[in-house]
Amino acid sequence: MLELKNLTFLAADTEASESAPQRRAIVNDINFTFETGGFYAITGPNGSGKSTLAKLIMGINETSEGKILFEGEEINKLAINERSRKGIVYGFQNPARFKGTTFRDLLSIAAGTEDEDSLVKILARVGICSYDFLDKPVDSKLSGGEIKKIELATVIAANPRVAIYDEPDTGIDLWTIGPMVDLLKREQQQNNTTTIVVSHNKAFLEAADTLMLLRNGRIAYTGDLEGAMPLLEDLSLCTFSDTCEGETNVRCYR
Amino acid sequence: MFDAIDKQVLKQVADLEEVPKGAYNIRKNGKLLGREVSANINIEANEKGDGIVIDVKPGTVNESVHIPVILSQAGLHDVVYNTFIIGDNSDVTIVAGCGIHCGSSEAEGHSGIHEFRIGSGARVKYVEKHVAIGEGTGRRSLNPTTRVFMEDNASAEMELTQLGGVDEAKRANEASIGAGSVLLITERVMTEGNQRAESQNEIELAGSDSKTNIVSRSVLKGDSRQDFYVNLTARARCYGHIECDAIIMDNGNNQTVPALKAFHPDAELTHEASIGKIANDQLMKLMSLGLSYDEAVNRIIQGFLK
Repeated sequence: MLELKNLTFLAADTEASESAPQRRAIVNDINFTFETGGFYAITGPNGSGKSTLAKLIMGINETSEGKILFEGEEINKLAINERSRKGIVYGFQNPARFKGTTFRDLLSIAAGTEDEDSLVKILARVGICSYDFLDKPVDSKLSGGEIKKIELATVIAANPRVAIYDEPDTGIDLWTIGPMVDLLKREQQQNNTTTIVVSHNKAFLEAADTLMLLRNGRIAYTGDLEGAMPLLEDLSLCTFSDTCEGETNVRCYR
Repeated sequence: MFDAIDKQVLKQVADLEEVPKGAYNIRKNGKLLGREVSANINIEANEKGDGIVIDVKPGTVNESVHIPVILSQAGLHDVVYNTFIIGDNSDVTIVAGCGIHCGSSEAEGHSGIHEFRIGSGARVKYVEKHVAIGEGTGRRSLNPTTRVFMEDNASAEMELTQLGGVDEAKRANEASIGAGSVLLITERVMTEGNQRAESQNEIELAGSDSKTNIVSRSVLKGDSRQDFYVNLTARARCYGHIECDAIIMDNGNNQTVPALKAFHPDAELTHEASIGKIANDQLMKLMSLGLSYDEAVNRIIQGFLK
Protein backbone atom coordinates (compact mmCIF):
# COMPACT_ATOMS: atom_id res chain seq x y z
CA MET A 1 0.00 0.00 0.00
CA LEU A 2 0.96 3.59 -0.60
CA GLU A 3 0.45 6.09 2.19
CA LEU A 4 0.56 9.87 1.99
CA LYS A 5 1.13 11.52 5.37
CA ASN A 6 0.72 15.27 5.70
CA LEU A 7 2.06 15.52 2.18
CA THR A 8 2.75 19.09 1.17
CA PHE A 9 4.36 20.74 -1.84
CA LEU A 10 5.31 24.39 -1.62
CA ALA A 11 6.16 26.54 -4.62
CA ALA A 12 7.35 30.15 -4.83
CA ASP A 13 4.34 32.45 -4.90
CA THR A 14 4.66 34.49 -8.05
CA GLU A 15 2.21 37.05 -6.72
CA ALA A 16 4.20 37.74 -3.54
CA SER A 17 6.38 40.83 -3.49
CA GLU A 18 10.12 40.49 -3.99
CA SER A 19 10.84 42.00 -0.60
CA ALA A 20 8.69 39.41 1.14
CA PRO A 21 8.94 36.19 -0.90
CA GLN A 22 6.39 33.61 0.08
CA ARG A 23 5.74 30.02 -0.72
CA ARG A 24 2.31 28.80 -1.64
CA ALA A 25 1.06 25.27 -0.95
CA ILE A 26 0.11 23.58 -4.24
CA VAL A 27 -0.51 20.32 -2.38
CA ASN A 28 -1.52 21.01 1.18
CA ASP A 29 -1.30 18.51 4.02
CA ILE A 30 -2.75 15.50 2.25
CA ASN A 31 -3.37 12.27 4.17
CA PHE A 32 -4.52 9.28 2.19
CA THR A 33 -3.86 5.58 1.70
CA PHE A 34 -3.98 3.87 -1.69
CA GLU A 35 -4.75 0.21 -1.04
CA THR A 36 -2.97 -2.46 -3.09
CA GLY A 37 -4.85 -3.34 -6.26
CA GLY A 38 -7.31 -0.45 -6.03
CA PHE A 39 -8.37 1.78 -8.93
CA TYR A 40 -8.27 5.44 -7.96
CA ALA A 41 -9.19 8.55 -9.90
CA ILE A 42 -7.83 11.92 -8.83
CA THR A 43 -9.97 14.75 -10.12
CA GLY A 44 -10.70 18.38 -9.44
CA PRO A 45 -10.64 21.74 -11.16
CA ASN A 46 -7.62 23.09 -13.03
CA GLY A 47 -4.92 24.17 -10.62
CA SER A 48 -6.24 22.04 -7.76
CA GLY A 49 -2.94 20.13 -7.43
CA LYS A 50 -3.85 16.82 -9.14
CA SER A 51 -0.80 16.49 -11.36
CA THR A 52 1.47 17.92 -8.68
CA LEU A 53 0.29 15.23 -6.27
CA ALA A 54 0.91 12.50 -8.87
CA LYS A 55 4.40 13.88 -9.54
CA LEU A 56 5.15 13.94 -5.80
CA ILE A 57 4.42 10.21 -5.61
CA MET A 58 6.76 9.49 -8.55
CA GLY A 59 9.46 11.83 -7.22
CA ILE A 60 9.31 14.22 -10.18
CA ASN A 61 8.38 16.92 -7.66
CA GLU A 62 10.29 16.97 -4.41
CA THR A 63 8.29 16.63 -1.21
CA SER A 64 8.35 19.88 0.81
CA GLU A 65 6.76 18.49 3.95
CA GLY A 66 5.25 15.21 5.06
CA LYS A 67 5.97 11.65 4.01
CA ILE A 68 5.23 9.08 1.36
CA LEU A 69 5.36 5.45 2.53
CA PHE A 70 5.35 2.52 0.10
CA GLU A 71 4.74 -0.77 1.87
CA GLY A 72 5.88 0.81 5.09
CA GLU A 73 9.12 2.23 3.67
CA GLU A 74 9.60 5.96 3.42
CA ILE A 75 10.29 6.73 -0.23
CA ASN A 76 10.13 10.50 -0.43
CA LYS A 77 13.92 10.83 -0.38
CA LEU A 78 14.35 8.31 -3.24
CA ALA A 79 15.12 9.43 -6.79
CA ILE A 80 12.66 8.79 -9.62
CA ASN A 81 14.50 5.71 -10.90
CA GLU A 82 14.75 4.23 -7.39
CA ARG A 83 11.00 4.57 -6.94
CA SER A 84 10.55 3.06 -10.40
CA ARG A 85 12.63 0.04 -9.40
CA LYS A 86 10.32 -0.43 -6.43
CA GLY A 87 7.42 -0.70 -8.87
CA ILE A 88 6.01 2.83 -9.17
CA VAL A 89 5.72 3.93 -12.79
CA TYR A 90 4.30 7.13 -14.26
CA GLY A 91 2.58 7.91 -17.53
CA PHE A 92 3.21 11.53 -18.43
CA GLN A 93 0.47 13.94 -19.50
CA ASN A 94 2.75 15.38 -22.18
CA PRO A 95 5.06 12.49 -23.04
CA ALA A 96 8.64 13.28 -24.02
CA ARG A 97 9.47 13.27 -27.72
CA PHE A 98 12.94 12.08 -28.64
CA LYS A 99 15.18 12.18 -31.69
CA GLY A 100 16.29 8.75 -32.88
CA THR A 101 14.81 6.80 -29.96
CA THR A 102 12.16 4.36 -31.13
CA PHE A 103 9.13 2.81 -29.46
CA ARG A 104 11.13 -0.45 -29.42
CA ASP A 105 13.89 1.27 -27.41
CA LEU A 106 11.45 2.57 -24.80
CA LEU A 107 9.55 -0.69 -24.60
CA SER A 108 12.80 -2.66 -24.17
CA ILE A 109 13.92 -0.39 -21.33
CA ALA A 110 10.51 -0.66 -19.67
CA ALA A 111 10.25 -4.44 -20.05
CA GLY A 112 13.93 -5.04 -19.28
CA THR A 113 14.31 -7.23 -22.36
CA GLU A 114 15.02 -6.84 -26.07
CA ASP A 115 13.57 -10.24 -26.87
CA GLU A 116 11.35 -9.91 -29.93
CA ASP A 117 8.69 -12.37 -28.75
CA SER A 118 8.37 -10.65 -25.40
CA LEU A 119 7.95 -7.24 -27.05
CA VAL A 120 5.34 -8.59 -29.45
CA LYS A 121 3.45 -10.06 -26.48
CA ILE A 122 3.40 -6.62 -24.87
CA LEU A 123 2.03 -5.10 -28.08
CA ALA A 124 -0.79 -7.62 -28.00
CA ARG A 125 -1.35 -6.99 -24.29
CA VAL A 126 -1.77 -3.23 -24.79
CA GLY A 127 -3.86 -3.66 -27.94
CA ILE A 128 -1.41 -2.24 -30.50
CA CYS A 129 -1.98 -4.53 -33.44
CA SER A 130 0.49 -3.01 -35.88
CA TYR A 131 3.89 -4.68 -35.62
CA ASP A 132 5.43 -1.84 -37.69
CA PHE A 133 4.64 0.52 -34.84
CA LEU A 134 7.53 -0.98 -32.87
CA ASP A 135 10.19 0.74 -34.96
CA LYS A 136 8.52 4.12 -35.06
CA PRO A 137 10.70 6.92 -33.76
CA VAL A 138 9.13 8.54 -30.70
CA ASP A 139 9.52 12.02 -32.15
CA SER A 140 7.52 15.11 -33.02
CA LYS A 141 6.03 13.40 -36.08
CA LEU A 142 3.77 11.20 -33.94
CA SER A 143 0.20 12.36 -33.45
CA GLY A 144 -1.06 13.22 -29.98
CA GLY A 145 -3.01 9.96 -29.84
CA GLU A 146 -0.09 7.80 -30.99
CA ILE A 147 2.32 9.17 -28.42
CA LYS A 148 -0.21 8.66 -25.62
CA LYS A 149 -0.64 5.02 -26.66
CA ILE A 150 3.12 4.58 -26.58
CA GLU A 151 3.27 6.21 -23.16
CA LEU A 152 0.61 3.90 -21.83
CA ALA A 153 2.32 0.84 -23.33
CA THR A 154 5.67 1.71 -21.71
CA VAL A 155 4.03 2.00 -18.30
CA ILE A 156 2.29 -1.37 -18.66
CA ALA A 157 5.43 -3.02 -20.08
CA ALA A 158 7.25 -2.14 -16.86
CA ASN A 159 4.78 -4.38 -14.95
CA PRO A 160 4.22 -1.72 -12.30
CA ARG A 161 2.89 -2.41 -8.86
CA VAL A 162 1.61 1.17 -8.77
CA ALA A 163 0.74 2.71 -12.14
CA ILE A 164 0.12 6.45 -12.19
CA TYR A 165 -1.45 7.92 -15.32
CA ASP A 166 -1.57 11.69 -15.64
CA GLU A 167 -4.50 12.59 -17.91
CA PRO A 168 -4.08 9.54 -20.16
CA ASP A 169 -6.97 10.60 -22.40
CA THR A 170 -5.41 13.89 -23.61
CA GLY A 171 -5.19 13.73 -27.41
CA ILE A 172 -7.03 10.40 -27.54
CA ASP A 173 -10.09 10.27 -29.74
CA LEU A 174 -13.48 9.67 -28.19
CA TRP A 175 -13.70 6.12 -29.56
CA THR A 176 -10.42 5.02 -27.99
CA ILE A 177 -11.20 6.08 -24.45
CA GLY A 178 -13.47 3.08 -23.77
CA PRO A 179 -10.84 0.50 -24.78
CA MET A 180 -8.23 2.44 -22.81
CA VAL A 181 -10.34 2.29 -19.65
CA ASP A 182 -10.89 -1.45 -20.26
CA LEU A 183 -7.14 -1.97 -20.63
CA LEU A 184 -6.32 -0.23 -17.35
CA LYS A 185 -9.09 -2.15 -15.59
CA ARG A 186 -7.80 -5.43 -17.02
CA GLU A 187 -4.26 -4.66 -15.88
CA GLN A 188 -5.58 -3.75 -12.44
CA GLN A 189 -7.59 -6.95 -12.13
CA GLN A 190 -5.17 -9.43 -13.69
CA ASN A 191 -1.98 -8.12 -12.12
CA ASN A 192 -3.40 -6.50 -9.01
CA THR A 193 -1.87 -3.21 -10.16
CA THR A 194 -2.67 -0.27 -7.92
CA THR A 195 -3.93 2.18 -10.52
CA ILE A 196 -4.06 5.93 -10.03
CA VAL A 197 -5.49 8.02 -12.85
CA VAL A 198 -5.51 11.80 -12.88
CA SER A 199 -8.44 12.74 -15.07
CA HIS A 200 -11.47 14.90 -15.72
CA ASN A 201 -12.94 12.25 -17.94
CA LYS A 202 -16.15 10.66 -16.72
CA ALA A 203 -15.15 7.30 -18.19
CA PHE A 204 -12.21 7.08 -15.78
CA LEU A 205 -14.20 8.47 -12.86
CA GLU A 206 -16.80 5.76 -13.44
CA ALA A 207 -14.16 3.06 -13.70
CA ALA A 208 -12.53 3.99 -10.40
CA ASP A 209 -13.30 2.24 -7.12
CA THR A 210 -12.45 5.43 -5.27
CA LEU A 211 -12.42 9.06 -6.27
CA MET A 212 -10.19 11.68 -4.74
CA LEU A 213 -11.48 15.16 -5.36
CA LEU A 214 -8.94 17.93 -4.86
CA ARG A 215 -9.60 21.59 -4.42
CA ASN A 216 -6.93 24.20 -3.73
CA GLY A 217 -4.41 21.48 -2.96
CA ARG A 218 -6.56 19.79 -0.33
CA ILE A 219 -8.78 16.74 -0.42
CA ALA A 220 -12.37 17.94 -0.83
CA TYR A 221 -13.84 14.44 -1.02
CA THR A 222 -12.91 10.78 -1.18
CA GLY A 223 -15.37 8.01 -1.96
CA ASP A 224 -17.45 6.74 -4.85
CA LEU A 225 -18.61 8.71 -7.88
CA GLU A 226 -22.18 8.92 -6.72
CA GLY A 227 -21.16 10.72 -3.56
CA ALA A 228 -18.92 13.05 -5.54
CA MET A 229 -21.56 14.12 -8.03
CA PRO A 230 -23.10 16.93 -5.95
CA LEU A 231 -19.61 18.36 -5.42
CA LEU A 232 -18.60 17.94 -9.06
CA GLU A 233 -21.74 19.71 -10.17
CA ASP A 234 -21.38 22.41 -7.55
CA LEU A 235 -20.18 25.70 -8.92
CA SER A 236 -18.11 26.16 -5.80
CA LEU A 237 -15.49 23.95 -7.43
CA CYS A 238 -14.91 26.68 -9.96
CA THR A 239 -11.59 28.41 -9.44
CA PHE A 240 -13.00 31.58 -10.92
CA SER A 241 -15.71 31.83 -8.27
CA ASP A 242 -14.48 35.23 -7.07
CA THR A 243 -15.09 36.80 -10.45
CA CYS A 244 -18.00 34.66 -11.60
CA GLU A 245 -20.96 36.56 -13.00
CA GLY A 246 -23.32 33.62 -12.94
CA GLU A 247 -23.97 30.42 -14.79
CA THR A 248 -25.29 32.14 -17.90
CA ASN A 249 -22.06 34.01 -18.39
CA VAL A 250 -20.80 32.81 -21.76
CA ARG A 251 -17.23 33.34 -20.69
CA CYS A 252 -17.42 30.64 -18.06
CA TYR A 253 -14.31 28.50 -18.48
CA ARG A 254 -15.35 25.75 -16.15
CA MET B 1 47.10 -10.05 -44.37
CA PHE B 2 45.95 -8.06 -41.35
CA ASP B 3 47.76 -7.46 -38.08
CA ALA B 4 45.98 -6.93 -34.76
CA ILE B 5 45.77 -3.15 -35.17
CA ASP B 6 44.42 -3.45 -38.73
CA LYS B 7 41.74 -5.82 -37.51
CA GLN B 8 40.76 -3.48 -34.69
CA VAL B 9 40.54 -0.51 -37.07
CA LEU B 10 38.65 -2.41 -39.78
CA LYS B 11 36.14 -3.67 -37.26
CA GLN B 12 35.39 -0.14 -36.17
CA VAL B 13 35.26 1.64 -39.54
CA ALA B 14 33.74 -1.02 -41.74
CA ASP B 15 32.44 -3.68 -39.34
CA LEU B 16 34.81 -6.16 -41.00
CA GLU B 17 36.33 -9.16 -39.24
CA GLU B 18 38.01 -10.57 -42.34
CA VAL B 19 38.43 -9.76 -46.01
CA PRO B 20 35.03 -8.52 -47.25
CA LYS B 21 32.90 -10.28 -49.83
CA GLY B 22 32.71 -8.67 -53.26
CA ALA B 23 34.90 -5.85 -54.53
CA TYR B 24 37.21 -4.09 -52.12
CA ASN B 25 40.27 -1.91 -51.87
CA ILE B 26 42.09 -1.66 -48.57
CA ARG B 27 44.62 1.12 -48.22
CA LYS B 28 47.12 1.18 -45.37
CA ASN B 29 49.54 4.02 -44.64
CA GLY B 30 49.28 5.42 -48.16
CA LYS B 31 49.81 2.05 -49.89
CA LEU B 32 47.61 -0.69 -51.27
CA LEU B 33 47.11 -3.54 -48.82
CA GLY B 34 44.61 -5.56 -50.81
CA ARG B 35 42.23 -5.29 -53.74
CA GLU B 36 39.58 -7.46 -55.33
CA VAL B 37 37.37 -6.59 -58.25
CA SER B 38 34.17 -8.28 -59.36
CA ALA B 39 32.62 -8.95 -62.75
CA ASN B 40 30.64 -5.73 -62.49
CA ILE B 41 32.79 -3.54 -60.31
CA ASN B 42 36.27 -2.55 -61.39
CA ILE B 43 38.83 -0.81 -59.19
CA GLU B 44 42.06 0.59 -60.54
CA ALA B 45 44.57 3.34 -59.81
CA ASN B 46 43.79 6.71 -61.35
CA GLU B 47 46.04 8.29 -63.97
CA LYS B 48 47.98 10.40 -61.50
CA GLY B 49 48.45 7.48 -59.18
CA ASP B 50 47.12 9.39 -56.20
CA GLY B 51 43.91 7.43 -55.77
CA ILE B 52 41.54 4.91 -57.29
CA VAL B 53 38.66 4.84 -59.73
CA ILE B 54 35.76 2.58 -58.79
CA ASP B 55 33.69 1.82 -61.84
CA VAL B 56 30.30 0.18 -61.41
CA LYS B 57 28.82 -1.19 -64.62
CA PRO B 58 25.33 -0.01 -65.57
CA GLY B 59 22.63 -2.32 -64.24
CA THR B 60 24.75 -3.79 -61.43
CA VAL B 61 22.42 -4.59 -58.55
CA ASN B 62 22.80 -5.79 -54.97
CA GLU B 63 26.59 -5.50 -54.92
CA SER B 64 28.85 -3.80 -52.44
CA VAL B 65 32.29 -2.21 -52.43
CA HIS B 66 34.44 -1.80 -49.34
CA ILE B 67 37.21 0.81 -49.47
CA PRO B 68 38.51 1.27 -45.91
CA VAL B 69 41.68 3.16 -45.08
CA ILE B 70 43.99 2.30 -42.20
CA LEU B 71 46.48 4.79 -40.86
CA SER B 72 48.95 3.68 -38.22
CA GLN B 73 52.25 5.25 -39.31
CA ALA B 74 53.45 8.07 -37.06
CA GLY B 75 53.84 11.42 -38.79
CA LEU B 76 51.97 10.41 -41.96
CA HIS B 77 49.32 12.58 -43.55
CA ASP B 78 47.75 10.54 -46.31
CA VAL B 79 45.87 12.27 -49.12
CA VAL B 80 43.84 10.21 -51.58
CA TYR B 81 41.61 11.08 -54.54
CA ASN B 82 38.91 8.49 -55.25
CA THR B 83 36.37 8.61 -58.04
CA PHE B 84 33.18 6.55 -58.08
CA ILE B 85 31.48 6.09 -61.41
CA ILE B 86 28.09 4.56 -60.79
CA GLY B 87 26.50 3.22 -63.96
CA ASP B 88 22.88 3.86 -64.91
CA ASN B 89 20.22 1.83 -63.08
CA SER B 90 22.67 0.15 -60.76
CA ASP B 91 22.03 -0.39 -57.04
CA VAL B 92 25.15 -0.60 -54.87
CA THR B 93 26.36 -0.09 -51.33
CA ILE B 94 29.73 1.52 -50.74
CA VAL B 95 31.34 1.17 -47.34
CA ALA B 96 34.17 3.65 -46.87
CA GLY B 97 35.81 4.96 -43.77
CA CYS B 98 39.10 5.75 -42.23
CA GLY B 99 40.55 4.53 -39.00
CA ILE B 100 43.57 6.11 -37.42
CA HIS B 101 45.56 4.19 -34.87
CA CYS B 102 47.89 6.60 -33.17
CA GLY B 103 50.67 5.04 -31.13
CA SER B 104 53.07 7.95 -30.72
CA SER B 105 53.22 11.68 -30.09
CA GLU B 106 53.44 12.44 -33.81
CA ALA B 107 50.44 13.68 -35.74
CA GLU B 108 48.57 11.46 -38.19
CA GLY B 109 45.97 12.45 -40.70
CA HIS B 110 43.96 11.45 -43.72
CA SER B 111 42.23 13.52 -46.37
CA GLY B 112 39.94 11.51 -48.60
CA ILE B 113 38.64 13.43 -51.59
CA HIS B 114 35.74 11.45 -53.02
CA GLU B 115 33.89 12.26 -56.18
CA PHE B 116 30.68 10.47 -57.12
CA ARG B 117 29.20 10.48 -60.60
CA ILE B 118 25.85 8.81 -60.23
CA GLY B 119 24.14 7.77 -63.44
CA SER B 120 20.47 7.96 -64.31
CA GLY B 121 18.20 5.76 -62.25
CA ALA B 122 21.09 4.50 -60.08
CA ARG B 123 20.78 3.96 -56.33
CA VAL B 124 23.74 4.31 -54.02
CA LYS B 125 24.10 3.81 -50.33
CA TYR B 126 27.35 5.28 -49.04
CA VAL B 127 28.41 4.55 -45.47
CA GLU B 128 31.46 6.36 -44.14
CA LYS B 129 32.77 6.01 -40.61
CA HIS B 130 35.69 7.87 -39.14
CA VAL B 131 37.39 6.76 -35.97
CA ALA B 132 40.68 7.38 -34.22
CA ILE B 133 42.03 5.09 -31.53
CA GLY B 134 45.34 4.26 -29.87
CA GLU B 135 47.38 5.26 -26.84
CA GLY B 136 49.47 7.89 -28.63
CA THR B 137 49.10 11.61 -28.00
CA GLY B 138 49.69 12.75 -31.59
CA ARG B 139 47.07 14.93 -33.17
CA ARG B 140 44.64 12.96 -35.33
CA SER B 141 42.95 14.74 -38.19
CA LEU B 142 40.47 13.59 -40.81
CA ASN B 143 39.46 16.02 -43.51
CA PRO B 144 37.11 14.40 -46.01
CA THR B 145 35.71 16.04 -49.11
CA THR B 146 32.72 14.49 -50.84
CA ARG B 147 31.49 15.74 -54.20
CA VAL B 148 28.33 14.24 -55.66
CA PHE B 149 26.96 14.74 -59.16
CA MET B 150 23.62 13.08 -59.70
CA GLU B 151 21.99 12.65 -63.10
CA ASP B 152 18.23 12.12 -63.48
CA ASN B 153 16.04 9.93 -61.24
CA ALA B 154 18.94 8.69 -59.16
CA SER B 155 18.99 8.26 -55.42
CA ALA B 156 21.84 8.46 -52.97
CA GLU B 157 21.84 7.94 -49.25
CA MET B 158 24.97 9.04 -47.42
CA GLU B 159 25.66 8.19 -43.80
CA LEU B 160 28.67 10.05 -42.51
CA THR B 161 29.70 9.22 -38.98
CA GLN B 162 32.51 10.32 -36.69
CA LEU B 163 32.16 9.14 -33.13
CA GLY B 164 35.06 10.31 -31.00
CA GLY B 165 38.82 10.20 -31.04
CA VAL B 166 39.37 12.66 -33.90
CA ASP B 167 41.09 15.89 -32.84
CA GLU B 168 40.38 17.84 -35.96
CA ALA B 169 37.86 17.24 -38.72
CA LYS B 170 37.17 19.55 -41.59
CA ARG B 171 34.53 18.12 -43.84
CA ALA B 172 33.30 19.53 -47.12
CA ASN B 173 30.27 18.09 -48.87
CA GLU B 174 29.17 19.32 -52.28
CA ALA B 175 26.30 18.02 -54.34
CA SER B 176 24.43 18.80 -57.50
CA ILE B 177 21.13 16.95 -57.75
CA GLY B 178 19.58 16.28 -61.16
CA ALA B 179 15.92 16.10 -62.18
CA GLY B 180 13.86 13.64 -60.15
CA SER B 181 16.87 12.61 -58.07
CA VAL B 182 16.93 12.31 -54.28
CA LEU B 183 19.90 12.88 -51.99
CA LEU B 184 19.72 12.04 -48.29
CA ILE B 185 22.65 13.01 -46.10
CA THR B 186 22.90 12.11 -42.42
CA GLU B 187 25.92 13.34 -40.56
CA ARG B 188 26.57 12.23 -36.99
CA VAL B 189 29.45 13.69 -35.08
CA MET B 190 30.52 13.32 -31.48
CA THR B 191 33.42 15.35 -30.15
CA GLU B 192 35.04 15.41 -26.72
CA GLY B 193 37.92 17.08 -24.90
CA ASN B 194 39.31 19.88 -27.05
CA GLN B 195 38.35 18.33 -30.37
CA ARG B 196 37.15 20.47 -33.26
CA ALA B 197 34.84 19.47 -36.09
CA GLU B 198 33.65 21.59 -38.95
CA SER B 199 31.29 20.65 -41.75
CA GLN B 200 30.73 22.82 -44.81
CA ASN B 201 27.93 21.78 -47.14
CA GLU B 202 27.06 23.22 -50.54
CA ILE B 203 24.03 21.42 -51.90
CA GLU B 204 22.33 22.42 -55.13
CA LEU B 205 18.91 21.22 -56.21
CA ALA B 206 19.61 21.62 -59.90
CA GLY B 207 16.93 19.60 -61.69
CA SER B 208 13.15 19.72 -61.69
CA ASP B 209 11.55 17.67 -58.89
CA SER B 210 14.88 17.01 -57.24
CA LYS B 211 14.74 16.38 -53.48
CA THR B 212 17.11 16.44 -50.57
CA ASN B 213 17.03 15.94 -46.83
CA ILE B 214 20.11 16.92 -44.86
CA VAL B 215 20.27 15.79 -41.24
CA SER B 216 23.03 16.74 -38.84
CA ARG B 217 23.25 15.31 -35.33
CA SER B 218 25.99 16.68 -33.10
CA VAL B 219 26.96 15.74 -29.57
CA LEU B 220 29.54 17.92 -27.84
CA LYS B 221 31.29 16.67 -24.74
CA GLY B 222 34.02 18.39 -22.72
CA ASP B 223 35.25 21.66 -24.22
CA SER B 224 34.86 20.52 -27.81
CA ARG B 225 33.58 22.63 -30.67
CA GLN B 226 31.51 21.83 -33.73
CA ASP B 227 30.41 24.10 -36.53
CA PHE B 228 27.91 23.05 -39.16
CA TYR B 229 27.23 25.16 -42.23
CA VAL B 230 24.89 24.30 -45.04
CA ASN B 231 23.90 26.30 -48.08
CA LEU B 232 20.92 24.72 -49.79
CA THR B 233 20.36 26.29 -53.19
CA ALA B 234 17.30 25.63 -55.35
CA ARG B 235 17.45 26.24 -59.07
CA ALA B 236 14.32 24.36 -60.13
CA ARG B 237 10.98 23.14 -58.82
CA CYS B 238 12.23 21.05 -55.94
CA TYR B 239 11.96 20.16 -52.27
CA GLY B 240 14.70 20.47 -49.71
CA HIS B 241 14.86 20.19 -45.95
CA ILE B 242 17.65 20.70 -43.43
CA GLU B 243 17.43 19.38 -39.89
CA CYS B 244 20.31 20.10 -37.56
CA ASP B 245 20.36 19.34 -33.86
CA ALA B 246 23.18 19.71 -31.41
CA ILE B 247 23.29 18.46 -27.84
CA ILE B 248 25.77 20.22 -25.58
CA MET B 249 26.81 17.95 -22.72
CA ASP B 250 29.42 19.99 -20.86
CA ASN B 251 31.11 23.22 -22.01
CA GLY B 252 30.89 22.58 -25.72
CA ASN B 253 30.61 25.31 -28.27
CA ASN B 254 28.41 24.98 -31.35
CA GLN B 255 27.48 27.00 -34.38
CA THR B 256 24.75 25.74 -36.67
CA VAL B 257 24.13 27.86 -39.74
CA PRO B 258 21.55 26.54 -42.20
CA ALA B 259 20.94 28.77 -45.22
CA LEU B 260 18.16 28.38 -47.79
CA LYS B 261 18.45 30.02 -51.20
CA ALA B 262 15.66 29.78 -53.76
CA PHE B 263 16.24 30.86 -57.34
CA HIS B 264 13.04 29.30 -58.64
CA PRO B 265 9.46 30.27 -57.78
CA ASP B 266 8.39 26.64 -57.19
CA ALA B 267 11.20 25.78 -54.81
CA GLU B 268 10.14 24.50 -51.39
CA LEU B 269 12.88 24.77 -48.82
CA THR B 270 12.57 24.33 -45.07
CA HIS B 271 14.90 23.98 -42.13
CA GLU B 272 14.78 23.28 -38.43
CA ALA B 273 17.70 23.69 -36.10
CA SER B 274 18.20 23.33 -32.38
CA ILE B 275 21.07 23.58 -29.93
CA GLY B 276 20.69 22.72 -26.28
CA LYS B 277 21.14 20.29 -23.46
CA ILE B 278 19.32 16.98 -23.23
CA ALA B 279 15.66 17.76 -22.67
CA ASN B 280 14.58 17.25 -19.09
CA ASP B 281 11.36 15.48 -20.05
CA GLN B 282 13.38 12.83 -21.93
CA LEU B 283 15.54 12.20 -18.85
CA MET B 284 12.47 12.05 -16.58
CA LYS B 285 10.80 9.53 -18.85
CA LEU B 286 13.74 7.14 -18.93
CA MET B 287 14.35 7.52 -15.19
CA SER B 288 10.69 6.76 -14.55
CA LEU B 289 11.36 3.46 -16.36
CA GLY B 290 14.18 2.67 -13.93
CA LEU B 291 17.33 4.03 -15.59
CA SER B 292 19.78 6.08 -13.52
CA TYR B 293 20.57 9.63 -14.65
CA ASP B 294 23.80 8.52 -16.38
CA GLU B 295 22.15 5.52 -18.04
CA ALA B 296 19.34 7.76 -19.28
CA VAL B 297 21.84 10.26 -20.75
CA ASN B 298 23.67 7.42 -22.53
CA ARG B 299 20.51 5.96 -24.00
CA ILE B 300 19.33 9.35 -25.27
CA ILE B 301 22.72 10.07 -26.91
CA GLN B 302 22.89 6.54 -28.38
CA GLY B 303 19.48 7.00 -29.96
CA PHE B 304 20.34 10.50 -31.18
CA LEU B 305 23.49 9.26 -32.94
CA LYS B 306 22.06 5.94 -34.09
